[in-house]
Order: sequence, then structure tokens, then C-alpha cells
Amino acid sequence: MWKVYKYTLIDLARNKFVGGWMLLLLAISLGLFQLEDQPVKAMLSLSQVLLALVPLVSSVFSIVYIYDVMEFTELLAVQPLRRSKILGGQMLALGTALVLGVLLGAGIPLMLFLPNSASLTLLLACVMLTLVFVAIGSLIAIKNREKARGVGLGLVVWFLFVLVYDAVLLWIMFAFSDYPIEPWIVPLAALDPIDLGRIMVLLKVDLAAMMGYSGAVYEKFFGNLRGILIALAALTAWVALPSSFAFRAFQRKDL
Amino acid sequence: MARVVFENVGKKYGKMWALREFSARFEPGETVSVIGPNGSGKTTMIKCLLGLVHSTTGTIMVNGETVGPDPSYRHHVGHMPQISRFPNELKIGQLIDLMDDIRGKDQGRAEGPLVRDLGVDAMMDKRLGTLSGGQRQKVSAVLAFRYAPSVLVLDEPTAGLDPLSSEILLKAVRDIKRTGCTVLITSHLMEEVEALADRVAYLQDGTLRFLLPPEELLSATGERRLSKAIPAMLINHTRSHVESL
Amino acid sequence: MTGIRTLLRLVVLLPVLWATGSVVAATWTVGPDAVHKKLATALASAASGDTIRVLAGTYAEGTLTVDRPLTLLGIGKPVIDGGEQGDVLVITAPDVTVQGFVVRGTLVSNINDNAGIKVKKSDNVTIVDNVLLHCFFAIHVTNSRNTTIARNEILGDPHVEETRQANGIHLWRCSGAEILDNLSQDHRDGIYFEFVTDSHVRRNRSLRNSRYGLHFMFSHRDTYSDNFFRDNGAGVAVMFSKEVEMRRNQFIRNRGASSYGLLLKEINDVVIDSNTFINNTTAMLVDGCNRAEVNGNIFQANGWGLRLFANSMDCHFVGNSFTGNTFDMSTNGNPVYNSFSGNYWDRYKGYDLDHDGIGDVPFRPLSLFAMVNERMPYAVVLSRSLLTQLLDQAERLVPSMTPEGLEDDKPLMKSPHGTRSL
Repeated sequence: MWKVYKYTLIDLARNKFVGGWMLLLLAISLGLFQLEDQPVKAMLSLSQVLLALVPLVSSVFSIVYIYDVMEFTELLAVQPLRRSKILGGQMLALGTALVLGVLLGAGIPLMLFLPNSASLTLLLACVMLTLVFVAIGSLIAIKNREKARGVGLGLVVWFLFVLVYDAVLLWIMFAFSDYPIEPWIVPLAALDPIDLGRIMVLLKVDLAAMMGYSGAVYEKFFGNLRGILIALAALTAWVALPSSFAFRAFQRKDL
Repeated sequence: MARVVFENVGKKYGKMWALREFSARFEPGETVSVIGPNGSGKTTMIKCLLGLVHSTTGTIMVNGETVGPDPSYRHHVGHMPQISRFPNELKIGQLIDLMDDIRGKDQGRAEGPLVRDLGVDAMMDKRLGTLSGGQRQKVSAVLAFRYAPSVLVLDEPTAGLDPLSSEILLKAVRDIKRTGCTVLITSHLMEEVEALADRVAYLQDGTLRFLLPPEELLSATGERRLSKAIPAMLINHTRSHVESL
Repeated sequence: MTGIRTLLRLVVLLPVLWATGSVVAATWTVGPDAVHKKLATALASAASGDTIRVLAGTYAEGTLTVDRPLTLLGIGKPVIDGGEQGDVLVITAPDVTVQGFVVRGTLVSNINDNAGIKVKKSDNVTIVDNVLLHCFFAIHVTNSRNTTIARNEILGDPHVEETRQANGIHLWRCSGAEILDNLSQDHRDGIYFEFVTDSHVRRNRSLRNSRYGLHFMFSHRDTYSDNFFRDNGAGVAVMFSKEVEMRRNQFIRNRGASSYGLLLKEINDVVIDSNTFINNTTAMLVDGCNRAEVNGNIFQANGWGLRLFANSMDCHFVGNSFTGNTFDMSTNGNPVYNSFSGNYWDRYKGYDLDHDGIGDVPFRPLSLFAMVNERMPYAVVLSRSLLTQLLDQAERLVPSMTPEGLEDDKPLMKSPHGTRSL
């Protein structure tokens, strides 16, 4: 697996898109920190950009890349290698490259202008979201033979998670506001990885508001570090689940 | 013991059988030309052997090992695909290093069969993304022959190659055959088939129509050239098949 | 010339005054090696106006009562331990001074308001430089005028359960009190006023109290300035009072389900000026207030900067800074009889073409999502999401649900408090 990982990473290191992604993040972060007079404000704006952009780029790029290297994957598949190791190496390399892009592009400005726990939490959320959407993107690419269809599906999934799901959640809140639904809101939000990443950041920058709950669930959830740890665990599940589906699908796939 | 054994192998895509009830044995040192029209099941048969495609029915054995999730049988299999695409940003040398790495072979990049003959040694620092189709074929050929395979699968090997390189490749096929390697080769070029094949397998609509040495084909049809003998054979075959019903 | 002459006369007279005083008043000493080993006997023997010096040691004599005007001076922090029998030190006479003691050992009781130092119907009492350790009530004053409580350290037991806690400084039916430079922590209310008028609360620190850092009701014409309130269960509550001034106080990190930096309920004629609110669940709740001048305050990184209920009137918000709050403001209706002008809002995205420092378009501080949250508090999990951004943006472009006229007509382009970060 490490051989595939190493060579895929070499390929990705020279990929113009990965470098471009890093530079784009760098430009956005530096721009925001220059524009806003308060670093906290810049960080909040940046968090909104990152929480939307990181999933989009991670999933679409993973999808496109996996299609682009499909012939090479075939070449690897006729070698004495287990399929799980091929996909494992490729996904890991994608994750590494994109995580590095985030850490260098957004991490360096964040650590320069606002080196605090909120910035670290934002970075952690972005890293996890990168991995989640590499996994989701890989699953989509493996499940669909056509590239255009795969990319389209990737966009749909992103749109669902970034906007539609929240709209549905808000609708549920309105529709069932007469019922005791408070305990269900956080578990429901956990079904959306982007919401999880966002809540992680909220727990750092908006804790004062999050503490404004009467529900015991929220007291427990938002009390301390625990909330962030729970969100991290849920995000890890969001990496593991699509990954395992992707591995299963790849194992059975006719190349 | 036969080198490669197909037993009742079938592959179904959706409702379509791309290959059905395919049984054959390929012996050591034997070169078999697999021919047939587009969509006849050649590629499916090859992909089943390589483990790229999972057969719906039947089993395939290579050197007594079953083709399945365990990839170890592929240590002895070389493959040259019809069209090769490699990661654009890797250099040829790096690709060869990677393959050596995977195969656990520790030899110099420029060593091994075909590297010098096809001029690949002079291109080690070229990026794979910049190669022409013919150049990619050369790289493919080098990789296919590189690890002393006992089963070599060549899919339209000379398509896209210049005549000189084609000759070099075909000579390499003859050489490796002498080491006892079983070669499966698909080709549209009847001259190639005639020159190389110990037996000819003809597939149509997913079914093996015949698997015979060229001489038998010629004598059975009374033709002097394979390009004529094969259609004649098919007509006979169909007729006898119909008569037997 | 007259000034200098008066001063000269004073200098001449001073030793005379001093001498006559010392002739009338005696000084008693209580200590382990002194004539009086017990404080109780000295208290019984001393005459009005006498001074009792109490040397270092522990005096566990149950409840002690000071029933004549005396000065009690602790030398080397002597400990008065009530032994959990009731109150520790009860003052029932005017002009008493208690200085330099450690007081402890109150009996926890839900029937009697047992206190470390209790002042009953006594004017001009001074309580300074004491430590009140793990008391039920610490300093408890009723029906007294001109009490001075200064520089005391009032330390409750942080591990005791809430039902066994009472107030740090507790005043009931008092006037002219001066509460200065005290520390009050780990009690129920740090400072509690009920029916207390014409008093000053300055430079106190009130921390980690389970209910309010400062709590006052029916207390008029009081001023609160330069106090520091942090980590109190419910922040500071000001109720049913009028003519209150609050200046330069700091309300920090008062977080919880119903926790407020400053809760104003039924308050009239109040000045709230130059205070700082940081990291509170709700920095300021204004419920049923009339005529409040809220000027130059900092609202930073709170859950809700301002919750202004619609039953308030003539509250004017000028020159305040709202930065980094989850919600700058919310309301339960349409608080249209109040005004905002010349505040700084970090969410303001307007422009200033004439460069006068004032944005050229008004700012609407009440976002649609804040209104949604007012109905469904759990919707806060959606804050800072793309969805709520879009909703708020749409609402700003085409206002349809947020109350019309609720706007800052002169939003500042720069914070009047400069740029400060968390």
C-alpha cells in the first residue's frame, strides 16, 4: 500500500490543481486577514468559506482524480497487489495531498494571525472534512463508470450537505416545534458532516450562545471539550463508513 | 499440468452474457491467438484471467492457483493492455521503479528485456503524460516482459507501434515462448497470428467457436491462408451445428 | 487667606481633640496571653466608644454580640469561630467598627439568616479588612444607615451545594451604604440589595457565585461603578428599581441556560455607560425598562449582545460596539419605541462615501435567524451555516419579517473602542 501511496503522492505533488488549491486558500486567508481589522472576524469569515469550499473541492477533485488514473489503477490491479491496498494507497495519498493543501494554504495564515484554540479547531474540522469528502468522492467515483455522472453526483452530494440538509433540519424544527425535539437536534445535525465541522467551530467561537440551552442534552454536549470530541468521533465515522463502502465496491468492481 | 485452465467460465453484465461456458487449457510454451469480432468476449476473457473482471460462473487456474482475491498468482503474469495510460506526472523511470518495487525485483532501471531494444532507456526522465501512443505502448511492453512471466497476455500489442518496434516485440514473443512461457495474444492482424500462433481461439458472441492449430484450420477448410480459412471454418461450423440439431 | 487660616487653626486644635478622645475612651486588649483571654468578657466590660484590640489566635466563643458603640481591631488576623451555633458576630449598636478579623463557623439554616457578621438596626457601622470564610451569609445588614463595607474578602465554600449557600454581602432596608473594594465569591448572590437606596457599589469583584454576582431589587438612586463580575451562574440582575447608574463595570463569562451579563427587569431611568460585556450567553437583557441611556458599552463575543423586549420604551443605544457576538440582538416582538444611533456593528457591510465615519445606509441589527432563534432556541446549531447566511442576506435585501424601523440610522464605520481581540 505504501508503494502505491508514495507514487500517487509524487503524482499529486506535481498536480497543478493541488498546488492551485493551496494557493487559492492562501489568497483567501491572507486576503481576509488583510481586509478585516480584527483577526477574529477574519477567522469567522474564513471558517464560513472553508466549511463550504473544503468539502466541494475535496470530493470533486477526488472523483476526477480517481477517474483520471483509472487506467493506471488497472495496471496496478494486474500486479500481485490486493485491491484494498491499491485503493488504500490512492485514498491516503489524496487525503494527504489535500490535507497538506489546507494546512499550508489556510493553516499558515491562521497560525500567523490568530494562533489560538479556535483556529486550531477550525483547521482540525477542515482536515476531517477533507478526509470525509475524499472518502465520499472515492465511493462515488468507484460506483459510477461515467466521469460526468460521478462529478455531477459529487456536486449534488455537496449541495445536499452544505445547504439542503440544513434547510430540511430547519423545516423539521418549525414543523415539530410543539414537540420536545430538542434532544434530537444535535444527533440529526451529526448526520451531516459539514454541520459537524461547523458545530466544532461553534463550540469554540460561539460557546456563549451554545450554553444558552435549557435542554440537558445540550448542557452535556456543549459543556466542554467533550462536545468537540464527540463531533470528532462522528466525523471519524463519516470517514470510515464511506471508505469501507468504497473498499467493498472496489473489491467487487469489474475494471 | 496445464499452465492456464478455464473451466466453464462465464461473465454476465446486467442481463447480457459477455462470455459463457468458456473452457480451455493452455499449455506451457504455447502461444495462442485469441481472435474474434468486436464484442466477442475476447477482452472479457482476458480480464477474467487477469483478475480485472470477476467471472460470474466457473473457475480459472493459473499455475495451479485459483484466480480470486489472493493476488499472488499474478506474480507470474505479464500484461500489455491495448491502450495504456499512466499518471501524467510520473517519469518513466519512476514508473519502472514502482513496478520493480511491487514485484519485489531489484534490478537496474535500464536492465531487463526490451528496455534497450525499444529505446526506453533513453526516455527514463520523460514524464508519462508527454508520451505519444506508440511510446506508451513501448513502456507497456517493457513492463509486460519485465518480470519473467510464465503467462503473458498481450492485447493488440503492435497496434500503434512502428514496424521496426513491432518486429522487435514479435521477436521477444518468440524468445519468451522458448522459455516455456504461455502467451495469449489478441490481434486483428492475420499475418501476426499466422506467424506466432500454435493455436487459434475464435470467440463470437461470448462463445468459443473453435480452438485449433492453424494447420488444422487450413487443412479442414482447404484454404491456404488463415484470413480465408477462418470465415470458411465458421460457415462449416455453423452448418454442421445446424445439421446436428 | 481664609483657607490658610482655617488650616492653621486645625493644626493647633488637632492634638487637643486627640487628647480629649483618649481620655474618654479606653483601649482593651484580648489575647491568649493578655488579661482578657476571651472576647466575650472584653465586650461585656468595655464602655461605649472604647477600642478592643484582639491579638492573633482563635476565639471560639459561639455567637458574640456587640451591643454598644465599640471599635474591634484585629491584630495579626485573629480568628473568630462561631462553632456553627448560629450567627458569629452580631452588631446591634451604632458606630461600631470591625476591622482585621477572620470570621467563620456560621450555622447553615434555612430558617434563620445566620451570618458571619450581622448588623441589625445600627447606623454608621464600618466593616473593613476582614476575611469571611465559608460563611452561610457572610455580611448581613438590615434596617441600617450609612454602613461601610470595604476591602473584605468574602470566600464561600466552592464545594458546598447550592441549597446550602446564601449571599455574600446582603443588605435589606438600608440607605447610604458604601460597598467598596470587596471580593465576594462562591456564594449564592455575591452582593444582594433589597430596598437599599442612595448607596454606592464600587470596585468590587464578584466571582463564581451560583446565582447572581450582583442582585438588587426595589433599590433606588444607587450607583454601581468599576465592578467586575465573572463566572456567576446568572450574571447580574437589576429588578424593580429606578434612577440607577451603572458605569465602567465588567461583565465577563456569565454563561448558562438563563444567564445574563446584565439582566434589567422593570427598571426606570437608568444610565448604563462604558461597561464591558464579554463572553456572556446574553450580555444584556432589557425587559420592561423605561428611559435607559445605554452609551459607549462594549458587547464582545457574547451569544446574544442585546435582547431587547418589546415592553421596553425610550431606551437609547448610542456609541456602543457590537463585535463577534453570535447574535448582536434579538427581541420577542417589535421594540420600536427604542432607538439605536451611532453604534458600531461588526456585521455592518455598508459604505461611507462622504468619509464622515458614519455609514451611508442604516444597519438593521436584528437578523432573521435571530428571530428564528427567539422562537426555537435549539436552532442555534445552524448558526454560521450557509443556509442562515442566505436567509439573513435575503432578509437584509428585502426586509419582510424583521420589524421595520428597528435600525441604526448612523452606524459607525469604526469601533469607538478601537480594535480589540478576544
